Amino acid sequence: MKLVKGMGVGLLSALMATTALAEIKVGFIGSLSSDTGLSTLRGAEMAIEELNAQGGVMGEKITLVTADTGEDVTEGVKAYEYLAETEEVDFIISGSIDDVSLGWLPRMQEFQIPTLDTWTSYIGIIDMVIEDPDTMAPYFMNIASDEALATLYINFGADVLKAKMGWDSVVVLAEDTAFGGAITGLVTDALAPVAGIEVKDVITYDVNTVDFGPIFSKAQASGADFIYQVSSVNSQVMSSQYVKLQVPMAMTGVNVSALGMEYWEDTGGAGGGISTLSPVPSVGFELDPVSAKFVEDYQAKYTSRPSIPHFNGFNAYHGLKQAMAAAAEAGGFKDVKAWNAAMLKQDLKLEKDGKLWLRYGFWQHGEVEPVTGRTYPQNARFDLSAPYDDAQPSMVVIQWKEDGTVGVVYPFEYANTEFELPSWIKK
Amino acid sequence: MIQILIQGLLLSGLYALIAVGFTLIFSVGRILNLAYGAYLMLGGYMYFWISQSMGMPKLFGVVMALALGVALGILKYQLIVKTLRGDHVAVEISTLILAVVLQAGVVLVFGDSSKILLPIIPGVVYIAGVPVTYNILAATLASWVILGGLYLFIKNTHTGRAMQAVSMDTKGAAISGIVPDHINMITWAISGGLGALGGVFFASYTQLAPSMWVAPLIISVAVVIVGGIGSIIGTLIVAHIVGFMEVSVVSLLSPELRGVFTMLLIILVLVMRPQGLFGREEL
Repeated sequence: MKLVKGMGVGLLSALMATTALAEIKVGFIGSLSSDTGLSTLRGAEMAIEELNAQGGVMGEKITLVTADTGEDVTEGVKAYEYLAETEEVDFIISGSIDDVSLGWLPRMQEFQIPTLDTWTSYIGIIDMVIEDPDTMAPYFMNIASDEALATLYINFGADVLKAKMGWDSVVVLAEDTAFGGAITGLVTDALAPVAGIEVKDVITYDVNTVDFGPIFSKAQASGADFIYQVSSVNSQVMSSQYVKLQVPMAMTGVNVSALGMEYWEDTGGAGGGISTLSPVPSVGFELDPVSAKFVEDYQAKYTSRPSIPHFNGFNAYHGLKQAMAAAAEAGGFKDVKAWNAAMLKQDLKLEKDGKLWLRYGFWQHGEVEPVTGRTYPQNARFDLSAPYDDAQPSMVVIQWKEDGTVGVVYPFEYANTEFELPSWIKK
Repeated sequence: MIQILIQGLLLSGLYALIAVGFTLIFSVGRILNLAYGAYLMLGGYMYFWISQSMGMPKLFGVVMALALGVALGILKYQLIVKTLRGDHVAVEISTLILAVVLQAGVVLVFGDSSKILLPIIPGVVYIAGVPVTYNILAATLASWVILGGLYLFIKNTHTGRAMQAVSMDTKGAAISGIVPDHINMITWAISGGLGALGGVFFASYTQLAPSMWVAPLIISVAVVIVGGIGSIIGTLIVAHIVGFMEVSVVSLLSPELRGVFTMLLIILVLVMRPQGLFGREEL
């Protein structure tokens, strides 16, 4: 009897082991309490549900485990190690911010787990892919890199800020982070020669600043025509004080807090007139039918914030499906080079009213982007020239109006509202 | 220069309002209440919930924030300070842990996204060309009124004089018929109320965030260290030194260095004059 029982236990264990092997384990790395992190997590959850409903991938069910970074670099490294060592995941999807991704990248190079970044846009990581394609083979970034964002923003400077508004000079207010430094460098290098806008001053501030009154006074004293804000941490403090103080000069730039629908509620309405560049699809961006269906399903499934996923939620939804399709072609995730080659071939084109609207594809190794003249291997495909018939623009500029509505103001092909000055500024 | 004067004066008023409750506890109980910033955080969130989420009158929101601060002060005294009486290190560590726990609670209820409070008094006025919100103007005026009221309370009322006595010599005060426990509890209640009120103004000027308790705590510690063990007048003066220094550094040097000079001032005072600029005063 004992022998039969022992055999039974053994058989059960073997079955369980087989079942465990017949799973594709996906690890999510990101903040479990921020809108950014939740956007990626939920996009991934929805893609996995759909794939499982269709029978999984290669006959295997996909499961999801999570590791919280709390948007902290150290926690991010620990989270990656947890997914790699404890959970032994096959694939990682990341909703990490730039600094956190930079923290866990060496772990990814070590563990060689296929990883898709949906939020981080740091061009330095793409440079790492160029310099060291072997160890960076597992890495893909399906958001346009910050350099591409800044490049198209310069066109906004020329076409709208200079040509339409007639502004000749700018003062940059930038936070003292790696993100702030990168964007500021890219913008200041190109604004004068390309857009003809002189950079009067660059004011760098501490991210813990709570009182922007003196900083706005300093910006006004520079004599510039408008302020360029570069703010990813506590952005709403600066923009709400700009509104509350009714600073008499226009402000645009990068304001990460304004990228979600909750911006209006979070600022208590003190957000009117604020504009920011945003990766696509952004708030206020018209959606193609596939993306609109994704949002509809998302809202039916989730009732808590973010009410609409941020751009990285879309990236996670489509990107995870592409990663699984690549795995199916490569026979799984273990052969990283085969998976990398299959992933590079992924190309999803979404149309709206007969026009290419969104494209989820990747730049190939050695493929040169014509405007910047450089390569972006394993980075999301983008287009920097109108009429944007190769892919979507790398970014759009959105503006929150004083009645709480939001729309796209640039590029003109995607615009649904016009760039305006806040009401307290005399033209 | 006028801009520095105006903005420095306003920021200093806000800092004085933030720091006075912390100074009070340190003066009377000799305790660094490291959970003090949590009063501000919870006061701000209570005001947000009442006035912005529930849409109830702003004044009611302020009163409820005040009441929450008072209740928290009493609870903290009764449950932590009294229980760990005599072990200041244990009290300070416990208060710090409490602040972290309260922060986690706020994340659970309100999420970790920052929120902007509507101004208590909306609008902007230009003074010598410098835009000044009515909100920070109100915070500065409130600060002066509260500090003045507190000063008069301590100097002219029986309870206030008892607080002075306890701050000088607890045993001596007890021999004189004062019940130190009772006075300490009142002090913690007042400190909690002032902290929560300061939190409403601070959050309405800056933002609401679960981690917002850290910055006011640093300001408060700076005021206590630089000023000495503390007096109400000393708090007011040192808050102005810190406030003006920050505005001057931002305007004349670099905004990145704003907090650095405050830290340098703390180190300098600790090395050169450990008793603080105004030495040891008794409220």
